[in-house]
This record gives sequence, C-alpha cells and structure tokens, in this order.
Amino acid sequence: MKHTMKGLLALLLMITAGCSSKSAMAPTDTADTYTPPEAPSGAVVSTPSGYGFDEFQTGPLGDVFYEFDSSELSADAEGQLKQNAAWMGANATAATLVEGHCDERGTSEYNIALGERRADNAKEYMVRLGVPATSIETMSYGEEKPFAPGHDESAWSKNRRAHFVLK
Amino acid sequence: MRYCKELFPGVFLILSLLLFPGQVQANGDEYIAIRKEGSGKIALVLSKPVASGAKESGWSERLDAETRSGLDFTGLFSLIPPPLNVAGPRGASSQAINFGALNSVGAEFYAGGAVVRKSGNVLLSMEVYDTLGGRPILRKTYTGKESDLRSISHAFCADLVELLTGRQSVFGSKLVFVSNRSGFKEIYMCDYDGHGMRQMTNSRSLALTPVLSPNGNYLAYTEYASGRPRLSIIDLAGGKRSSVARSGNSIDPGWRSNAEVATTLSFQGDQEIYLVRPDGTLARRVTNSRGIDLSPSFSPDGNKMAFVSSRTAVPQIFILDLQTGQTNRLTYNGNYNTQPSWSPQGDKIAYSSMEKNGEINIFTINTDGSSLRQLTSGTRQNESPSWSPGGDMIVFTSSRQGQKKLFVMNAAGGGQKRLLQMEGEQMQPSWSLKVK
Repeated sequence: MKHTMKGLLALLLMITAGCSSKSAMAPTDTADTYTPPEAPSGAVVSTPSGYGFDEFQTGPLGDVFYEFDSSELSADAEGQLKQNAAWMGANATAATLVEGHCDERGTSEYNIALGERRADNAKEYMVRLGVPATSIETMSYGEEKPFAPGHDESAWSKNRRAHFVLK
Repeated sequence: MRYCKELFPGVFLILSLLLFPGQVQANGDEYIAIRKEGSGKIALVLSKPVASGAKESGWSERLDAETRSGLDFTGLFSLIPPPLNVAGPRGASSQAINFGALNSVGAEFYAGGAVVRKSGNVLLSMEVYDTLGGRPILRKTYTGKESDLRSISHAFCADLVELLTGRQSVFGSKLVFVSNRSGFKEIYMCDYDGHGMRQMTNSRSLALTPVLSPNGNYLAYTEYASGRPRLSIIDLAGGKRSSVARSGNSIDPGWRSNAEVATTLSFQGDQEIYLVRPDGTLARRVTNSRGIDLSPSFSPDGNKMAFVSSRTAVPQIFILDLQTGQTNRLTYNGNYNTQPSWSPQGDKIAYSSMEKNGEINIFTINTDGSSLRQLTSGTRQNESPSWSPGGDMIVFTSSRQGQKKLFVMNAAGGGQKRLLQMEGEQMQPSWSLKVK
C-alpha cells in the first residue's frame, strides 16, 4: 500500500511538473491526504547536472542551502526538496539520511543544534509533500564536517546545507 | 602597619588555629579579609624542606619544585627568594625563624618544613607563618610514597591556598577536553596543568563536549560512533558505559548533581533539555519551547539552569528556575550568546558572544543580569569558558595563535596564558571540582 502511494506521488509530480503557478502547498501530515505540490517551472527529477549539485553531492537527491544562523527554507531550497520528494516517490524503497551542516562561524554546540533544525525542516517539507516520515532520518554534524575548506563566504555558503545521503 | 585596622579577626583566627588546627580551612575568609588592603599577589617566602641524607635531599628538591610551580600556576603568589639567614640551625622550628629578615624582604607569609623517610615513605612536615605576627597559621604533615611527591606537594598547596583565600584550589582538580590529535576528535583528561594526560575515548568518529560529574565519578559527553550524536556516560571507577537509548540526537550535556545530567534530546521532535540519570534512563523534561534549547549549566544548588535558546530568534542565554518553572532571559547584549557556565560561587555566569566581525569573546554577567564584563578582546575566537573549582580562574579555547588551544585567565580576564603543550587542536575544556 505504501509503495502504491509512492508510485502515485511520483506520477502526480510528473504530470504537474509543467505547471508554473506559485500557489502554496497544502501542509499535510500523511500520504493519505496528499495533495500534489506545485513543482517549480520546468523542473525535472534531479540529475547530477541539475540544480544544487556540486562536487560534494554524489547521489540522486540534491542538497539544500541556508543563510547564516538560519534554518528557513529559501525558494530555491523548496524547489530542490520538491524534486527530491518526487525522486523518493519514484523510488519507493529508498530511504535517506539528511545531515544538517553549518559553516565554521559561531560555536560548535549551537551549530549542531542549528544543523539538526536545518535537516528537520528539510525533512518536514518533504513529508508534507507526501514522502513517508519513516523513510527520512535526520542528524547533524554542525560545523564538524565542512564540505569546502575555505574561510570565506564562498566556502561558508557551501557548508550551510542539508546533505542528502541514500541509505 | 597596613594590617592594623583588621588585626583583631586575625588574632582570633590565629588563636582558633592553635586551638583547633583542623579548622584552618574554614577560617580562610578572615585571612583574605586581612590582606584586602594589600594590592595584588600574596608575598610568600617558600623554603626548601630541610632534609638530611641524599635520598631525602632529592625528595626535598622535587617537593620544592612541585610546590613552586603549583603555587605559581594559581597566579595568587609572588614567590620571594628566601633570605640567606631566614632559618637557624633548628630548621623549621618557630624560634629559629628570622622574621626580621622575612619582613625586610617584604614577605607576608613564610612556609618551610622538613622531609624525612619513615618506613620507606615520604613524610613532609610543613609550617606556615604570618611574618608580621610571627605566629603559625598552618602546621600539617603530609605522607605518601616516593612516587607521590607531586600529589604530596599539591596537598600542601591546596591547604595553603584554601587557608589564604577561603576558596577551593585547583590542586586535585581535573580538566576534560576535546583534541583532534589522533586525527579524530576524542576526549582527554588531565590534571589542572596538563599533567597525567589520558585519552578517554577511542570513538574514531567524533567525541565532543565532555563534562565530569561534581564528584568526578562520571564522564558525560556526546559521541557519534553510532552514526548520530548520542549522550554517553562513563562510570570512571568501573569503566561501564551507558548511553541514552532514544531515537533522535543528543547535544552538549551539563551535570545538575551526581545523580542527574541534563542534555538536549530531540526524540520527541523538537529539541528540548531533559534530565538523564547516569545509567542513561530519562528522569524528566525541563524545557518546553519551540526551537533550540541547548547547553545546560546549573547553579551550585542545582535549582536553576542557565541555557541557550533561540526562542527570541537569535541565540541568547536564559535562566530556568526548576522550582517555579519560570524562565527569564539573562543576556541582551549581542546577537549570538552561547556556552553559559555557572560559577561555583553561584553569583556569575561566563559565556561566549560572537560579534559581527566573527570574533568571539568571553564575558561574565551576574545571574541578575548586572555587572556585564568582557574578559577577552582582539584575539580571534575565545570560547567554551569553564570555571576553576574556586571560581577564581576560567579555562577556555582560543584561536589567537592560529589553531584552537586551551588557555586560562583569572576571573577578571587577567593573566591569560596557554595551558598545555599538545599536538593538534584542543577545545571544549571543562574544569571539574576536586576529584579524589
């Protein structure tokens, strides 16, 4: 039954992929009351050359990025999460771990907490799109495992992310 | 005659010491009151313990060196070289001490003694005198094995500091901290001065935010060995390890008492602070607020908890009264205040504050929000403050030399100095109360 719902979700996302309306999605807690989300204009299921991919992303799910000391989802982040949700829908047996990461600024403990909120917000958004909560786990590395080694905004902006790892 | 005004309490103190030598530490407050008019450091002449025999002379050298470096570490003393004519042929006996010579070099106190061998053990007899009155304020014998010369010296240092300041000394205390020396962040433990270093974890992942229980029996920290951050608690006596068997993540523990450690857990969805028993079972939840609640640090009586919360958008420090359930915001200066550490005297909280330029500095503030004081500035990132057992020093992490290293300073920010020489980075220090 769960798998059928996921397949249906993927199908619906593919059908609605061409729409460009920006109407708000309906927040839902379970797949049973699922309403198809509006995918971004021209969006397709992620590929390694698509939006959000950089050398640190090797799987089919794209990472999302955040502002300093923020776990709010930007429009770009929401667009990527819609694509991720669609891929999860098309791959019903897939499970993912979302790692929250922060840039090096600030203090270590707080950054672990902030990274967890980043991962949680990404998960929550995908669950609202109908992805079963049980197929997404979250954890946080805070500033402990930066992707880009630099000490400037170009590195920091890459390190403030929710990183998707297929399990 | 700068002591005249307050000589009377001193006389009573000395009398009480003579009558009740076991009470010396309890009367330390009065001694510090006597010296309040004197500025700065305590002027002390420390004589090498009198010894006869080659073995005893060797012990005397070691005891003297350990005592000197121990007292020097506290930053409380100005150690004056002993005048040549300080002691007569009878050694440390009071009649033979030349108080005139001691006064002429500006000594406020004189410490000397003798070391002998008894049944193969070291027996150090120490005496401390107030040079003005020429009366003994401390007489005590310390014994131990030949391998215990350092701890024998430190036992004397502890008595002396506690007598003169009325505060618990650093001697016998432990530091726990994180270092990436091995290539992984692991927990290390050592004496207050870096002696006796031990690696406590071998997670080969990430081990963070160590803190010892007040009695030193348990070490709590956050470890990633299971793939996610979990609270781990080691029983240091038995070596038994417990962890919280809950889903979700755990961040940054702080002990409330020997029976309860608080930490942030997210198994109910939102991050909240919970009290956990040393066996890893949950006692109860103590915060209930959407958003980040983090980094608990308790008042000495365990009734109040300082913590970080993002409930007002940016991280600030709050105090929760566990008896009334009321929460008050403590910090209003700055937009990124984290890492609270409640002083052992209970009156102050140290914390770190990040400024717009990325610099992080350590501040102290009274628990009522008054007396905000900046202790570091212009030296890159200064973080993770933790009080010494007596509340007169703070250990912290600083990147002022590039890599993160451990530093100490006094409670007013003075005397900032590097704490230990160790490869790699060191961070997140936590200073224990006295550990047996």
